[in-house]
Amino acid sequence: MKALEISTITFCYDKATECALQSFSLSVEEGQIQAMLGPNGAGKTTLMRIITGQLMVKSGEVAVYGRRMPDQTSLGSIGYAPQPISLYPTLTARENLKFFGTMAGMADGKIGERAEAVLAETGLVSYALKYVNTYSGGMLRRLNLAVALLHEPKLLLLDEPTVGVDPQSRNHIYQTLARLNESGVTILLSTHIMEEAQRLCSRVTLVDQGKDIFSGEMNKIDNLEKFFLEKTGRGLRDE
Amino acid sequence: MLRDRQTILLLFFMPVALIFFMSLALEGVWTDKLTGRKIQLVIENKSNLPKANLLVEKIKSNKMVQLLDRPQGLDNEQIFEDGKTHAVVVIPRGFDEGDKPVEIYFNPVMDAGYKIAARSLITSATVEVIMGIENLDTVIAGLIAEKAKENRAFPTPLQQTVPAYAIFAMFFIAIPMSIGFLKEKQNGTLQRLFTYPINTNLVVLGKIAPYYLINIIQFVLMLLVGVYLMSHIITYPFHLGGHPWQMLPVTLVVAAATTGFGVLVAALARTPEQSSTLAATGAILMGAFGGIMVPHVVMPQLMKQMAMISPMYWAHQAYLDIFLRDASFMSILPKLIVLLAFALICFYLAGRRIKWM
Repeated sequence: MKALEISTITFCYDKATECALQSFSLSVEEGQIQAMLGPNGAGKTTLMRIITGQLMVKSGEVAVYGRRMPDQTSLGSIGYAPQPISLYPTLTARENLKFFGTMAGMADGKIGERAEAVLAETGLVSYALKYVNTYSGGMLRRLNLAVALLHEPKLLLLDEPTVGVDPQSRNHIYQTLARLNESGVTILLSTHIMEEAQRLCSRVTLVDQGKDIFSGEMNKIDNLEKFFLEKTGRGLRDE
Repeated sequence: MLRDRQTILLLFFMPVALIFFMSLALEGVWTDKLTGRKIQLVIENKSNLPKANLLVEKIKSNKMVQLLDRPQGLDNEQIFEDGKTHAVVVIPRGFDEGDKPVEIYFNPVMDAGYKIAARSLITSATVEVIMGIENLDTVIAGLIAEKAKENRAFPTPLQQTVPAYAIFAMFFIAIPMSIGFLKEKQNGTLQRLFTYPINTNLVVLGKIAPYYLINIIQFVLMLLVGVYLMSHIITYPFHLGGHPWQMLPVTLVVAAATTGFGVLVAALARTPEQSSTLAATGAILMGAFGGIMVPHVVMPQLMKQMAMISPMYWAHQAYLDIFLRDASFMSILPKLIVLLAFALICFYLAGRRIKWM
């Protein structure tokens, strides 16, 4: 079954001269970890915001587990870890988890149980009562991921989940993602780290200038970075 | 927000301090305008003859007058400088003979109303002495009858300052509120909330509700400060009017207007710095125009009309209707409608401007 099916969507921001996504299509099978690679400004974050219902497309269709988005039930099956650290700095980790759990419609008892589980999963149990504004970069990233995992999503959308973290935290996150995938969670991973994509993902999609320029099996690509540069070009993307 | 002590200080202690200092300052204005303070005179009787002595006695016996002794070695200019003397009255030699008039030296910064009153008082006393009339007031009472309506326009210092600075502080909620919204927008928590299966309007409402509640607590606390603390410090009482329960709907509507203002500021500003400047400047301007800093009743006519562009004017007048005019709910209603319209316009404009999603 397809966990995520995106069919020829086009999205343009107000007053933008070019559309952020143009006739974009993507398909992610249930149980896969799929990498989404692309230069800065390619449209990866926009795509994630469309899938999570933050942006509405005028044409095309997005379906999660067969249900056309936006759909409240399907939103509950998605876990989203955005690229910015989207946490409340003046709350503790546990308070953040409780708040987001309530937003996800979870019962208090369930939140407590799951909070302990995700804190353990992300190695933050001993810091659960510390204010988030005292956390290091790696801890923030792990808590950002923990919030996304709290409500046991079937589909996990990760937008550069290891940016700015040390190798130890990065390795911890990789292990967490691998375990989650083994337990049946489907993951769409947006990243600029080629090694990360090759290590974790079975499929890859290349996005450039709002278009899907390649989709295929990861194991058929020898050197991902070289392949990426061949497909997207070597020119700087500063705009 | 409860962990943000500076904001709590701003929202609760700033209005208390303003109420305290502004009430004390207005106490003098109130005394001058309505109750009247005694006219403080220094009299120099250089004649010491019967008519001159009678004139001194007549002035001294007037209840509006407080006679002062000239401090030794000080001339008129020096005694006016300390601000305690309104005028110096000199009865010269030759007054009894009708050769020389009474001389009055007024304090140059004396209130014009006091000047007229002092001149009138001394004129009456002098006329009584010269013309041999026992009491000129009795004669005039047969010619002029004084009629005065109950004061329903000039608030007591606490009636003015308690609602005024409570409203002022309530509008300052726009600062933490807009900064909070912008920070959440910038760090992505607001966008993250929209990825959950929950109605977006509920999310926004959930963000506004705490600030709305804080506004109501602010007003209640300021009212308690006025009733239980300031009324022991200020000479004049703090009457809440005949229908104090009407404060409830007024406060609920004012809180809607202030939170609407906060959301609009959050929508217009691009950075937290911009939002705090915009919210503070907006609140101060609305306060200056709306009869908060300068009581509406003492404004010139043009300013009184201009005050109506400020939502603070409508909020303050609604409270004054309750405290001062014993107004019915129906007569307060138009002011509430104006405030509600302001709130709705703010929410509507913010909704159009904000690109939360």
